[in-house]
Amino acid sequence: MTTAITRRRRPVASQLFLILLTLVFLSPVVWAIVSSFKPAADIIRDPLGFDPSLFNFDNFERMFGDVPLGSGFMNTAIVLVLKGSLTLFFAPLAGYAFAKYDFPFKNILFGTVLVTLMLPTIVLIIPLLLEMKEFGWVNTYQALVLPGSIDAFAIFWMRQVIAAVPDELLDAARVDGCGEFGIYWRVVVPVIRPGIAGLAVLTVMNIYNDFVWPVVVTTNDRMQTLQVVLSTLAQNITGNTIGADYATVTGELLAASSIALIPLLVIFILLQKHFINGILAGSIKG
Amino acid sequence: MTASSALGSRAVRRAPQRGPRWSLLRRRGAPYLFIAPFLAIFALFSVYPLIFTLRLSFTNWHGAGTAEWVGWGNYTYLLTNPGFWSSLGNSAVLWLLIVPVQVVIGLLAAVLLNSARIRMRGFYRTAFIVPFVTPLVAIAQIWVVVFDQNYGPVNDVLGFFGIPDIGWLTTSEWAKPTLALLFLWKTTGFAIIILLSGLQSIDSSLYEAASLDGATRTRQLVSITVPLVRRTLMFLVVLQTLAVFQMFAEPYVVTKGGPYSSTTTAGLFLYNHITRADLGTGAANSFLLVIIVLVLSLFFVRMLRTKD
Amino acid sequence: MHQHPPARSEAKPNAPRPFRRHLRFGAFGLAALVAIGLTACGPAIGSGEAADPSKLQLPAEPKGEITIWDRSGDLYGVFDAAIAKFNEKYPDITVHHEAVDIGAKLQNTLITGTDVPDGVFLDDQLVPGFADHLWDLSDVLKPYLGDIAQQKVDVNSLDGGIYGVPWDLDPGLLFYNATALKAAGIDAESIKTYDDLLQAARDYKAFKPDAGPIHLEQSPFLGQLQLEMYASQLGTSITDAHGKLRLDSPKYQQILTFLDTVQKEGLGTRAEYLGPTDIATLDSAQQVFVPWAQWFGFAPQQLLPETTGDWRAMPLPAWSDGGPRSGAMGGSSFIIPKDAKNPGLAWLFYEFLAFDPAGYAAVYGPNDIYPNGLNTSIPSYGPAADPAKPLFGTVDALGGQDLWKVAVDAGAQIPGGVPTPTWWGGAVDYLGNNIQKMLDGTMTPEEVISVSTKDIQTNLVDRQ
Repeated sequence: MTTAITRRRRPVASQLFLILLTLVFLSPVVWAIVSSFKPAADIIRDPLGFDPSLFNFDNFERMFGDVPLGSGFMNTAIVLVLKGSLTLFFAPLAGYAFAKYDFPFKNILFGTVLVTLMLPTIVLIIPLLLEMKEFGWVNTYQALVLPGSIDAFAIFWMRQVIAAVPDELLDAARVDGCGEFGIYWRVVVPVIRPGIAGLAVLTVMNIYNDFVWPVVVTTNDRMQTLQVVLSTLAQNITGNTIGADYATVTGELLAASSIALIPLLVIFILLQKHFINGILAGSIKG
Repeated sequence: MTASSALGSRAVRRAPQRGPRWSLLRRRGAPYLFIAPFLAIFALFSVYPLIFTLRLSFTNWHGAGTAEWVGWGNYTYLLTNPGFWSSLGNSAVLWLLIVPVQVVIGLLAAVLLNSARIRMRGFYRTAFIVPFVTPLVAIAQIWVVVFDQNYGPVNDVLGFFGIPDIGWLTTSEWAKPTLALLFLWKTTGFAIIILLSGLQSIDSSLYEAASLDGATRTRQLVSITVPLVRRTLMFLVVLQTLAVFQMFAEPYVVTKGGPYSSTTTAGLFLYNHITRADLGTGAANSFLLVIIVLVLSLFFVRMLRTKD
Repeated sequence: MHQHPPARSEAKPNAPRPFRRHLRFGAFGLAALVAIGLTACGPAIGSGEAADPSKLQLPAEPKGEITIWDRSGDLYGVFDAAIAKFNEKYPDITVHHEAVDIGAKLQNTLITGTDVPDGVFLDDQLVPGFADHLWDLSDVLKPYLGDIAQQKVDVNSLDGGIYGVPWDLDPGLLFYNATALKAAGIDAESIKTYDDLLQAARDYKAFKPDAGPIHLEQSPFLGQLQLEMYASQLGTSITDAHGKLRLDSPKYQQILTFLDTVQKEGLGTRAEYLGPTDIATLDSAQQVFVPWAQWFGFAPQQLLPETTGDWRAMPLPAWSDGGPRSGAMGGSSFIIPKDAKNPGLAWLFYEFLAFDPAGYAAVYGPNDIYPNGLNTSIPSYGPAADPAKPLFGTVDALGGQDLWKVAVDAGAQIPGGVPTPTWWGGAVDYLGNNIQKMLDGTMTPEEVISVSTKDIQTNLVDRQ
């Protein structure tokens, strides 16, 4: 936050707090990863047991044989890139328009946007699916990418972030003769870089996590995203399914989940550098 | 009051100013162009389904054949149904258990992650969002196991202190806090990211000026950080209110809405209607939910309103 | 002052008049749009008639492609292996076999008619709910009807039509820990009625005071399913063939009183099926009696290392001397959607799996997934369920018992049934929960019946 003026007191309590949080957040995940190496029946029978001598790759082998993880990854990656780009490019733009301009119907429009944000997705599945059928888009990339690509949450947040940008900056740019888009691109975007970084992280997370819609709109291996693949595995555990052998499936699910985390972690680590490490790269100083 | 078509224009004529209010300047072309892509997606994929669902809420369609118009029937059924109100109550209690805690922890963590004096910030930032992207089903089992009444480690530890076994997931009193813990675990990372982004938008020069004036770190926190982060806080609270009321995956996977419907949230109540093909009632239910969350959000916005 | 969402209600204080006019135009415009939209988008609104039933006929020639949906997991593997055998008989039919989250997809697929598969594997209790979207199979099933277990046919029938190809029968059995009971001097084979079972439990508890001998289900859904198993033994169920509630009957009274007695006398262990408590108490001989469907057999085989080999299966006790000693708990069938491209070919596939000796041997017999055969259910088709000709091998975890014979004999005793009401899952909030309250001791059997009947009638039956 501040420079060398302040005392160099070791922030012990703060570090402790962060370490504690990390432990809480990561231990269930570590459990899931470790358990994926246990014999499947043991995961159900003795979940907290830890016997490294019994560890094996059975769950992984079975999973790679049964589960189209490869195409799941590929499809998720494609959707992430396409849908993510749409969001990251057009959402801040629209947020800028809502935050810094005045035009007729603006408030009504924003109000409607808000209402759609609050409508639960589950209820929209049937009309959306009917639309996809009309367009002939069932089981296509368009169906996975376009609906929700520039969604209300992103607009809402970007509007929030941009509203905090001081008007003086925009005035100054205008005086300098920047075009409207130029103002946006050259002045606003650099200033809100951490906001966009945050949006990028959350967009990646939301797209990655999205399964309600992809499950419904994809009908075969070719188009399934990772979450669809995982949820197909999981149905034997969550649904009130009767008579299923859910021990092996649990093993496969944990194995799949463990593998699925890896690319995501890589993406996040790469995105980290866009988060400012405590000091805002001077805005008013230009 | 002139408005010039502004795109690319060099000789820009400044409109008369009413104070430092950017928002009063009108540029006819630009904003429409900027929101056009969004509007297209919005009209196609949000507005049409919205209207469809609205229409559906006045029928008792079960998915096949023609639908029968029932007017306000679904709405009156829901508003007089104890199940509906108790699901709202459940969501309200969960809200109380989740949002305040998440705001405090989130803010604390975000402030620390924004401070140059903490090391390994990148590691923490990554670690905190891992729960959000871990599949719920993979985690649900460990939750059930850890909180098992007879054989779970939590009760074992409590037993060590002489406290009798608590039915964490099997009694109506304790199921909600246990579920709240799961939701907190899963989504606090999300809150931290939003708060962190909000904090990082604050100009560091403000802090420098304050230290030059001799303000201590705590004082800085209180008089600079908190007011400026209020807007982000408001945003986060509205978003998480929405998330808590719409929550259905966590109760569905871990408790199936039990025990005794104590964890049937508003979202799960709605989900049950849909999966039982009671689509008209489901549609009505979702609009009632929208109204409720909208009212709540208005309330929070008013409470956390930023003063310039 | 920055605008805060939602700001529709705030008029800008210094807004010039033209802007206010814009706002009003905007409001009118939106209202107009909504009005237009309301008349155009949405389901066709009419008088609420149901869709037209249609009967499936045999296909012209056995040639073409079909898409078949199955649950992922072991069953997918089993059916996949059977496709090869199917193609020996019908080489010109290509089967695209897909593992799908049926619970999440089927309803939406059938309602919107998008990419509908030709056949789907579905739990029996869900079949009547989708009947409007399915082919009536009564014509093609006619040659086999006489030989299929009556309960399976009944559960798939609705208003004179049959909407699923009956596949597996899940007979209820009494699983017991023979070794532990022998050590306590109890002869389990002598248990003939539920009163006998209560007595045996009392004797076991006297021998081992910390035991809760009989399993009491804690999950409301499975508890309701188990209740229906007991009811099926007595030839009843939650509704009759016309959808009228019949919970209020001496039969349900008897069942609930039995469960209440187990609870009151401390003769039960209350646990969620195969949850941590359940597994621990089963493996430590604190729980020795599990009245459950045949698919409980998977537990001694995989999850109970200490007591594997100690368990045996026998038909359920009867509710009265000489009464039926089994009831159905669960079970699945194959459905064929009306919007399928090649429904006739899908029928040929399912006919093979269920009624052709090569088919049912492939499914139940030894294969890559189950070297010993699939032993969590039995075929519902009589000739396939021949007690003398087991399709799956003896089960080591049950001490080498011939589970096939036990299950088939039990299955033969299951009385006829009725189709499950479409709201059955929703009833768990009422009946399932109330059973749990009774097991908590806060509700009497009579209250369970009266309160559940009232709530189910108001919230589920009346809203159909």
